[in-house]
Amino acid sequence: MDEDVLTTLKILIIGESGVGKSSLLLRFTDDTFDPELAATIGVDFKVKTISVDGNKAKLAIWDTAGQERFRTLTPSYYRGAQGVILVYDVTRRDTFVKLDNWLNELETYCTRNDIVNMLVGNKIDKENREVDRNEGLKFARKHSMLFIEASAKTCDGVQCAFEELVEKIIQTPGLWESENQNKGVKLSHMEESHGGGACGGYCSVL
Amino acid sequence: MAADSEPESEVFEITDFTTASEWERFISKVEEVLNDWKLIGNSLGRPLEKGIFTSGTWEEKSDEISFADFKFSVTHHYLVQESVDKEGKDEILEDAIPQSMQDLLCMNNDFPPRAHCLVRWYGLREFVVIAPAAHSDAVLSESKCNLLLSSVSIALGNTGCQVPLFVQIHHKWRRMYVGECQGPGIRTDFEMVHLRKVPNQYTHLSGLLDIFKSKIGCPLTPLPPVSIAIRFTYVLQDWQQYFWPQQPPDIDALVGGEVGGLEFGKLPFGACEDPISELHLATTWPHLTEGIIVDNDVYSDLDPIQAPHWSVRVRKADNPQCLLGDFVTEFFKICRRKESTDEILGRSTFEEEGREIADITHALSKLTEPTPVPIHKLSVSNMVHTAKKKIRKHRGLEESPLNNDVLNTILLFLFPDAASEKTLDGTTSIDNSNLPSESEDYNLYNQFKSAPSDSLTYKLALCLCMINFYHGGLKGVAHLWQEFVLEMRFRWENNFLIPGLTGGPPDLRCCLLHQKLQMLNCCIERKKARDEGKKTSDNITNTYPGDVGKAADLLGPDHRKDTDKEKGEVGKSWDSWSDSDEEFFECLSDTEELKGNGQESGKKGGPKEMVNLKPEGRLHQHGRLTLLHNGEPLYIPVTQEPAPMTEDLLEEQSEVLAKLGTSAEGAHLRARMQSACLLSDMESFKAANPGCILEDFVRWYSPRDYIEEEVIDEKGDVILKGELSARMKIPSNMWVEAWETAKPIPARRQRRLFDDTREAEKVLHYLAFQKPADLARHLLPCVIHAAVLKVKEEESLENISSVKKIIKQIISHSSKVLHFPNPEDKKLEEIIHQITNVEAIIARARSLKAKFGTEKCEQEEEKEDLERFVSCLLEQPEVLVTGAGRGHAGRIIHKLFVNAQRLTESSDEAAAMAPPEEELKRVGCPEERRHNPVSDFPAPAGRELILRTTVPRPAPYSKALPQRMYSVLTKEDFRLAGAFSSDTSFF
Repeated sequence: MDEDVLTTLKILIIGESGVGKSSLLLRFTDDTFDPELAATIGVDFKVKTISVDGNKAKLAIWDTAGQERFRTLTPSYYRGAQGVILVYDVTRRDTFVKLDNWLNELETYCTRNDIVNMLVGNKIDKENREVDRNEGLKFARKHSMLFIEASAKTCDGVQCAFEELVEKIIQTPGLWESENQNKGVKLSHMEESHGGGACGGYCSVL
Repeated sequence: MAADSEPESEVFEITDFTTASEWERFISKVEEVLNDWKLIGNSLGRPLEKGIFTSGTWEEKSDEISFADFKFSVTHHYLVQESVDKEGKDEILEDAIPQSMQDLLCMNNDFPPRAHCLVRWYGLREFVVIAPAAHSDAVLSESKCNLLLSSVSIALGNTGCQVPLFVQIHHKWRRMYVGECQGPGIRTDFEMVHLRKVPNQYTHLSGLLDIFKSKIGCPLTPLPPVSIAIRFTYVLQDWQQYFWPQQPPDIDALVGGEVGGLEFGKLPFGACEDPISELHLATTWPHLTEGIIVDNDVYSDLDPIQAPHWSVRVRKADNPQCLLGDFVTEFFKICRRKESTDEILGRSTFEEEGREIADITHALSKLTEPTPVPIHKLSVSNMVHTAKKKIRKHRGLEESPLNNDVLNTILLFLFPDAASEKTLDGTTSIDNSNLPSESEDYNLYNQFKSAPSDSLTYKLALCLCMINFYHGGLKGVAHLWQEFVLEMRFRWENNFLIPGLTGGPPDLRCCLLHQKLQMLNCCIERKKARDEGKKTSDNITNTYPGDVGKAADLLGPDHRKDTDKEKGEVGKSWDSWSDSDEEFFECLSDTEELKGNGQESGKKGGPKEMVNLKPEGRLHQHGRLTLLHNGEPLYIPVTQEPAPMTEDLLEEQSEVLAKLGTSAEGAHLRARMQSACLLSDMESFKAANPGCILEDFVRWYSPRDYIEEEVIDEKGDVILKGELSARMKIPSNMWVEAWETAKPIPARRQRRLFDDTREAEKVLHYLAFQKPADLARHLLPCVIHAAVLKVKEEESLENISSVKKIIKQIISHSSKVLHFPNPEDKKLEEIIHQITNVEAIIARARSLKAKFGTEKCEQEEEKEDLERFVSCLLEQPEVLVTGAGRGHAGRIIHKLFVNAQRLTESSDEAAAMAPPEEELKRVGCPEERRHNPVSDFPAPAGRELILRTTVPRPAPYSKALPQRMYSVLTKEDFRLAGAFSSDTSFF
């Protein structure tokens, strides 16, 4: 459909139930906020094309249900994802504490290891904050992730989060290009080259 | 031209840039190229550092020009250097000697191990060559050669280019170049003589000095001293005393029923021939002066043992035959075969197809008839027996591709559980307890998308590889695969788990074939549980927790949740989208009970009616939670496990889900499609907790959606008040809707979310229709994985740092290539080629270590030195021998030569029949005569000399300029390359 789209990227949104995964996605794709968004069942799916640094990328974003019980079902969708948005709720510490579990899950089910992870602390518009920004930063640094705090309600940081993630993915060679352009990474020749003009050593004599 | 008739031609000088003739055009083109490349003028670089010709980078630029219709290529070769600071340039004197002329005298880079021949002959750092563009073209006639040389001369003169310009004449293989270099008032001519046979007087230093001097024709007496550099090269080819130990593996070893050196599951390794073919010893006298030594036709001071410099290089056999590389390459070739299994094995297999169809119908008929299938004892003799029968029956007189003993061995290797009956009785035969599953090597399958190295898939890949190489090639592969598929079906039908697969759902990090096998195992597991569950449920009906406990014991901790999957009555609107066929009614014996339940659950709505129901399908109590309505403890129900998925199924499903689009309707439909699991859980929950409400369910299932708040009631007491979250309270949201539809049905009587019968048949069908080529593609990652592990293992014995690096590169490269579906053949070939390379390097290292006896060396220090020396030989083009002939390595090399000499001597005596050519050479070459018949070294294979001096030419008052002559003499080639400079100021 879009001729000038550079690549299609698969993005995944995960995190505990009720942290606002679907709201973040809705804010990003439709720029709306619905305080009464039904709890996701299984996985949901949205598409959006964005432009980062002049590169158009089509994002296929898979939104997952956070309930423990669905976790036997959703990881199958982790396959082939290039980017993951891991969300927690800054007003509920338990959602932050559970992040380690989610990372384990990612490690177990993701099929590639160079995937780009982003940590998003959601609901910063609320007043009863329980998780400090620095804690989020520290966690992200420890696990080499991108980090941002956002609010799906007030729109803070949402657009930025997705753009940053896409930019990072595009900057990671091998993460996306070979799939779409069928142009692999060339490996330098390991053999010592017996190049054109130079006669290989003693051959001039013997 | 036009100026001819002009009377005022003296006044108006017309500069004529028209190029009338082809020749003029050619010259101007040469000039143009020189200008384009900015080779005009003098640019003095730094003095050449020692060894820079080898360690530095050489680059070249090319262009094409033509003389009439004859095409020439012009190439600029140059050593890449950091540019000299610009300030220095100002100081350059107008009449400085061009860089190239100065380089003629530089002694820092004599005899470079690897360089362009002109570099070797003249010591140049930069030059331009004009050669016929086509490889077969040659400038042969003398007049043409002269014409070219004149063009060069004119072009250099016109442009002021100080880079030497060469033209290649005669056939290319002769490497004949003539050239010129011009500087301000000076010129160097590069001349060359190339002969097949050397005149006697030029085989030694004194003869060559004579030529050099006469060529210079220096008018001065006495002549300034000539500096001399000499290198003799000796070749050692005879390694007889160190025969190559690697033998091609014995193909017959297995046929006798004995597993010899070749075991299935182990890859062969090593080169079949000595990967080191020659050793070249270069003995160098880098700096001699005329008169210090004598070398003439009767006597020579040049004893190699006394030479101050020794250096060694080894000649590696080109593409030595390497076992592992061949092994993998042959397997890869299967990928390109188009034949199906049937085509390969002949028409007779159609009968077997028929048998399979019968099996399918049988499998289906079993569904309607739930009597447990009698379990046969599985034994190897049984399997082999059936295999034999099949072979006799179907292939008739024709030889079967696989020998029975071989087949027997392989099947036993793949299915070790078939040997003992005990393991078969147990539920799982997966045994990976003794594996370092955390190790990097073990987890390599993650990166390669292959399979764990202890898995059935991996073993199968190795066996097929082995079969392909040693036992019947493609036919053997097809035969083994057919047997394998039959075995899979046998196991499915008889409830025997497949060994060598980790339990649980298919591991998406592995190759698809592995996933398919895991999927089949899941199916077998569930079927088995169902069959066993049926037996027990006949005896125990209502004491459920105990029952579940038993089932859980049988299945292992991970699989306790879904013992029974008999179909219950399910509201049509909530049909599972993936599982909507009617044909999977499981067990009709339960109908009575079902009806009862259906009636009761038919009265939806009020929980009060349900209180009377017996709780069913409880797993265990949920902490301290109690039901909100009646205060009974809240039980977690036994639930159905979600359907395991292989990546192709998943792909299909995601596609279906994605196709629904992003509209609200699409999202709703998507949620509905996926709610089968939610509904099933709700039904199980209702069955386990009679009298429960949605709030109870949510507290278990999605605890964050039940919000509790401390409220102070009228009496002033703090009480906990809870309610559903806002999103759960949205009218007719899917959770509420599902809850209302859900009937209290325990998991065991629900409709199966995962239809193992259908999935198993799908897998078996998929397996049966894989061509050998498909199979090879599936398993290639495993084979590459195995090959990399093998190479790694072998390297660890040798400890070669460069190989370590290459292996790392191979791994990262492979993981990139193999992670995508259908990798390109070219990329795969490249990987295989790299693996073969590494194998060859390791084989070379071994060969060298054996030759130099590093293991035998007793002194620790010497051993270390020797090891370092050997590893340098592998990595560097030429290695200096410390201590020359007197050092430790030098002594070993000396001994090698002595031994080889003795061998040739003795064989010469014994045979007394040297080939006539040899004879001729011996007579013709006085060199041989000078040598002691029992000399330690053979006659040098190459003798190189560089003579240099600085003298004024052509007159005594001319400027003193560099003169150089290089000579090389080999068995059938003699070359003199001279560069003679002269002052052109007054001539």
